Amino acid sequence: MNFRRSGRSGRTVGRAEAERLLDPTGTPSATDDPLARLLAAAAGPARPGELAGEQAAVAAFRAVRAAGVPGPAATGRRRRRLTTGVVAWIAALAATATAGVAFAAVTRDHAAERAPDPAPSSATATATGSARPTPHRSGPDRRTPPRRSPSAPGGTPSAPGPIPGPGGPPGTGKVVGQCRAYLAMSPEQRVKVLTRSGFAGLVAAAGGADRVGAYCRDLVPGYPPTGSHAGAGVPPGPGGGPGRKN
Amino acid sequence: MTGDLTEAVVAAQAGDEESFRILYRSLQPGLLRYLTALVGPDAEDVASETWLQISRDLSRFTGGEFRAWAVTIARNRAMDHLRRQRRRPSLPVPVQALSDLAGDADTAERAGETIGTESALALIATLPPREAEAVLLRAVIGLDAETAGRVLGRRPGAVRTAAHRGLRRLAALLERGDAPQSSDDERVTPPRPRPTPHASRVEPADG
Repeated sequence: MNFRRSGRSGRTVGRAEAERLLDPTGTPSATDDPLARLLAAAAGPARPGELAGEQAAVAAFRAVRAAGVPGPAATGRRRRRLTTGVVAWIAALAATATAGVAFAAVTRDHAAERAPDPAPSSATATATGSARPTPHRSGPDRRTPPRRSPSAPGGTPSAPGPIPGPGGPPGTGKVVGQCRAYLAMSPEQRVKVLTRSGFAGLVAAAGGADRVGAYCRDLVPGYPPTGSHAGAGVPPGPGGGPGRKN
Repeated sequence: MTGDLTEAVVAAQAGDEESFRILYRSLQPGLLRYLTALVGPDAEDVASETWLQISRDLSRFTGGEFRAWAVTIARNRAMDHLRRQRRRPSLPVPVQALSDLAGDADTAERAGETIGTESALALIATLPPREAEAVLLRAVIGLDAETAGRVLGRRPGAVRTAAHRGLRRLAALLERGDAPQSSDDERVTPPRPRPTPHASRVEPADG
């Protein structure tokens, strides 16, 4: 499309003409007018990348519906909290959707870790997935979320199952969730998501945006730690994850 | 068009996901283009935030021009974003960066020779912000001067004036790169002032 036309020099756009060109209900203006063509092009149909966020938007919509619709009297503060909830929800959703298998593995590890562990120091070893301490493979028991055994001697306070990460601060549970979401993302998305305020905690915990990948791979069971395998940066998707399938 | 959207809005308010998709597909391109003029390369992030808020506040939308409502949210998010950025002075002001990148004459030249949406938007982005906003809200989002005025918190007359100035400036830019008469008129496509809500529905749902 060519916006330019040499036949018209020193053209001035009158006010009425401007209105005509901009009137959303007006009839399309003459196609030989370069300005009209420029405006038409600016309003042209969606380019492929422009709708790339559709699934994320729909996920947000779904999550909001699931979280309950706030009434008109909701305060800003409550809305903010809801947003945070929704973001976490989406993170969880992304994790389950794209790394369902890994997720299942993680749940199992949670169970294993909350059982009295003979070697609590080997948190990183646990994460490798090779030497998973699952002492009693008593079938159905592993499935049910474990109640904390009261016998844990001098055990940690009953926070709901934070995975002890390498140098992980309190509240690691959230970080693990974000890590799972992070690892499930494309490289592009990873870069982008770390700029969001909701992920500031994760960046801080990892000690910098550039270290989040390594940190998360160490933290999330099912992903090989940075040192052991060469495939850094590539989520292995244990069991050949479902991948992008919709 | 507004009629179609109203229907989709009501259905989406009732929780219908497909209707929400319709809203997304019909509004997102315009929002993204508008946001690009406001915040440059961060537009996609701001658009995501916008859709999150739209999802959240949809139940409170009580009627009227849905486009205007959505674009108001987008603009507020963009302003928040710019405020946050201003606290980090190492980053350039996005609009400025975009203008620098575009460089009037160059862009006009490219717009004349190549095509379409991207060049057109780049050219509009070289306008002073107020004019760019007025032109985008009217020509790309499809609002009338009154509604655009409400979005911008300005009088309709002021919006008309800004848009008018913007168009004059654009016309001048187009003139400036007026060297060769390219004879590829057969490439001219029919004018498409606004995308219809269904125009983009052929787009596969991401993957």
